[in-house]
Amino acid sequence: MTPQLVSATAPNGADHAAVPSSRQADMADMADMAEYLLWLGDDALVSAQRLGEWITNAPELEEDVALGNIGLDQLGQARALLSYAGELLGRNEDELAYFRDDVDFRCTHLVSLPRGDFADAVVRLLLVGAYSEQLYAALTTSADERLAGIAAKAIKEVRYHVEHAAGWAVRLGDGTDESHRRMQDALNRAWPYLDELFDPHPLTDHLDGIAVDPATLKEPALQRITAVLDEATLTVPATQRVAGGGRDGRPSEHLGPMLAVMQVLARAHPGASW
Amino acid sequence: MHGDHAPATSAGPAGPAEPSASGQSSFDRVIAGDGRIEPRDEMPDDYRKSLIRQISQHAHSEIIGMQPEGNWITRAPSLHRKAILMAKVQDEAGHGLYLYSAAETLGASREDMMQALLAGKARYSSIFNYPTPTWADIGAIGWLVDGAAICNQVPLCRASYGPYARAMIRICKEESFHQRQGFEILLTLSRGTPAQHELAQEAVNRWYAPSLMMFGPPDADSPNSAKSMAWKIKRFSNDELRQRFVDMLVPQAQALGLTLPDPDLRWNAERGHYDFGELDWSEFKAVLAGQGQCNVQRVEHRRRAHTEGAWVREAAMAHAAKKAARQQQSARGAA
Amino acid sequence: MSRRPTTRRLPSASVVGALPADTDRDTLAAIGIGNPLVPMQEAPRVTATHPRVLAALGGSADPELRRVAVAAGNVVDPEIPVLTLADLGVLRRVYRPVEPDGKIVVALTPTYSGCPATATMAADVVRAAADLRSAVAVEFVLVPAWTTDDMSEQAGAALREFGIAPPGARPDPAGPIPLSLSVRCPHCDSRDTRRTSRFGSTSCKAMWACQQCSEPFEEFKVL
Repeated sequence: MTPQLVSATAPNGADHAAVPSSRQADMADMADMAEYLLWLGDDALVSAQRLGEWITNAPELEEDVALGNIGLDQLGQARALLSYAGELLGRNEDELAYFRDDVDFRCTHLVSLPRGDFADAVVRLLLVGAYSEQLYAALTTSADERLAGIAAKAIKEVRYHVEHAAGWAVRLGDGTDESHRRMQDALNRAWPYLDELFDPHPLTDHLDGIAVDPATLKEPALQRITAVLDEATLTVPATQRVAGGGRDGRPSEHLGPMLAVMQVLARAHPGASW
Repeated sequence: MHGDHAPATSAGPAGPAEPSASGQSSFDRVIAGDGRIEPRDEMPDDYRKSLIRQISQHAHSEIIGMQPEGNWITRAPSLHRKAILMAKVQDEAGHGLYLYSAAETLGASREDMMQALLAGKARYSSIFNYPTPTWADIGAIGWLVDGAAICNQVPLCRASYGPYARAMIRICKEESFHQRQGFEILLTLSRGTPAQHELAQEAVNRWYAPSLMMFGPPDADSPNSAKSMAWKIKRFSNDELRQRFVDMLVPQAQALGLTLPDPDLRWNAERGHYDFGELDWSEFKAVLAGQGQCNVQRVEHRRRAHTEGAWVREAAMAHAAKKAARQQQSARGAA
Repeated sequence: MSRRPTTRRLPSASVVGALPADTDRDTLAAIGIGNPLVPMQEAPRVTATHPRVLAALGGSADPELRRVAVAAGNVVDPEIPVLTLADLGVLRRVYRPVEPDGKIVVALTPTYSGCPATATMAADVVRAAADLRSAVAVEFVLVPAWTTDDMSEQAGAALREFGIAPPGARPDPAGPIPLSLSVRCPHCDSRDTRRTSRFGSTSCKAMWACQQCSEPFEEFKVL
């Protein structure tokens, strides 16, 4: 199967020939750029994989459809990002998704946590969505046109996802005693992992103008989150953060088992096309 | 996907009383004139019940049918295939919802239909009681099961009940996209490595006969068919549709480079159709009677998801009630 | 975020297909577009004067480009076959590449990131061009991102005829997501409708029910 390649360059073919001023600098740039695309692509892919586990298991049929929709959007975003990374690395999207080990993934821990109950799904969708909403909004003005194009597409989808998560957070937080308790528990479980999304990292300094410093996203994302939590009568947890490391090849221990499932068939037939 | 046209055990709630004499004659006129019956028209109670049975079976089939395919979402071997499969299973849930709504226009309640399914009282297409142990099963389901479903559904696009017929037109388009994707999976496997080719052939061997049985028992043994045809809910007999399907499959199997597992399959120039061998209806009946590999598992899965989601549905209702109460209070305060 | 101009440009994407590249014509004919038993829905014919075709050609008078643009414009959405790529607004450009012997490029834009119909549309464009003995490569462009405003008026009418409520006008992109308070029933035209699910069978659709004629229906969501 030919992987889907996505190009955001103006389709007149004229500007493909621009030559970088310094070849060496550009090589380093390319590696950094690919690394950054893996951050974003792996977060999206691993989120989509977890949502895929929900299909046929949701609390009502409408949610099977909704979570499938959202997972599919995330998978589409992941493919655009990983295809781009792959072109820089000389690999295709499937080689990146199926033939890297957990230590080679660059996703944050929050997205790889086990599926949990529906409250966990809602909380994660809200937290990751609020972060992604800020991230993609900022990236629409990235100096890298192709990344800006992917972000412009993603931002419209992510806004729907956050709306959906916020709706459920309010219904469940301000629903029954049980649903309130479950939501607060899920929030308490997820909260220690939230900070990792906003950790500053030297990589984004190297990609000044192209990438976004995650720390700058924290305040607006938290504003969005706390506004929803207020309406949902939920309390912002006071829990300590836990050490992250997902961006630097120290994945959560949940990623390995997830990838074992995801990659099993592809790895059983190396070199095959599907 | 579509039900087996099996005799139903649950026909849903009783609709309104029989139509008046004038209502009955207007119903007969519409049917005779190949027109459409709409939700607010008068219709005989039997017609209503028969439709509710058929539409709800169809809806249940979509919902249960999500499971054998959902089984491979997390393991799909490429991101392209994963996306297609997620979209397909989501399509099925969407079709299920749509069909439940169509049944509701006849006075059935979704809650009752769902309860009948969870209680194991409602029928759904038996084909989904077969397992999907390999990836090639996803291709075989798309090509054979969706293909058979389409053959069943295309005539329903002209069914006499408006909302059902209109739904079928759109659903057929989406199903035909699914069939094409299933064909592509098998084609890629068939032309892939020897191991992949073997997977494709083995899956076709397992799904071929069950897909032919999706058209229901031979006409001679099909108790509900005659009435459905008189009412123009159904337009072709089980055997007619089965023949169409086989005629379509043979050239496609050749294009795939795969064999259909039937030694008696051959072109009959006189009839202008393919002859095919006898099907083993005892197996069909056993699966229908609950002895398929996955009968228990499929219903149990749905029941578990439903039970685990109870707190969510209760919370949604509680929240809606709170919100309504607050609105009422603030309206009173304002007055 | 500070801005810095970049010189990075990537090679444009090459052919994307949902079928293996070596799929022969007999096979393609055997599967047809969709199932041979499903009656083809009549999508409105797209001609060389269709605004999207003209825009895709960007003023070029090259007859082969024009034939390819018309053929690509006439390819239909595999799931909603009353929509042509021209009316859907996903046909962006048809041009000759800089390399003298390169294939003609048809640039499409995807509707939703994860929409599985995208690859099928690309394969059908390649096939439609091959029917004219033109070899084309399909390229996906993301900028500017597709919106439902890119759909033609004709698309709205075709959707309604097909039983799907067309998308309404797009709201201010900076504003909140619209609640789409009222959508007209495509069957009886009543505005007395209610949304039953924000998500439908495909990513682009939501589910509704008409309170007037009881028809359950789908709405193509504003994006």
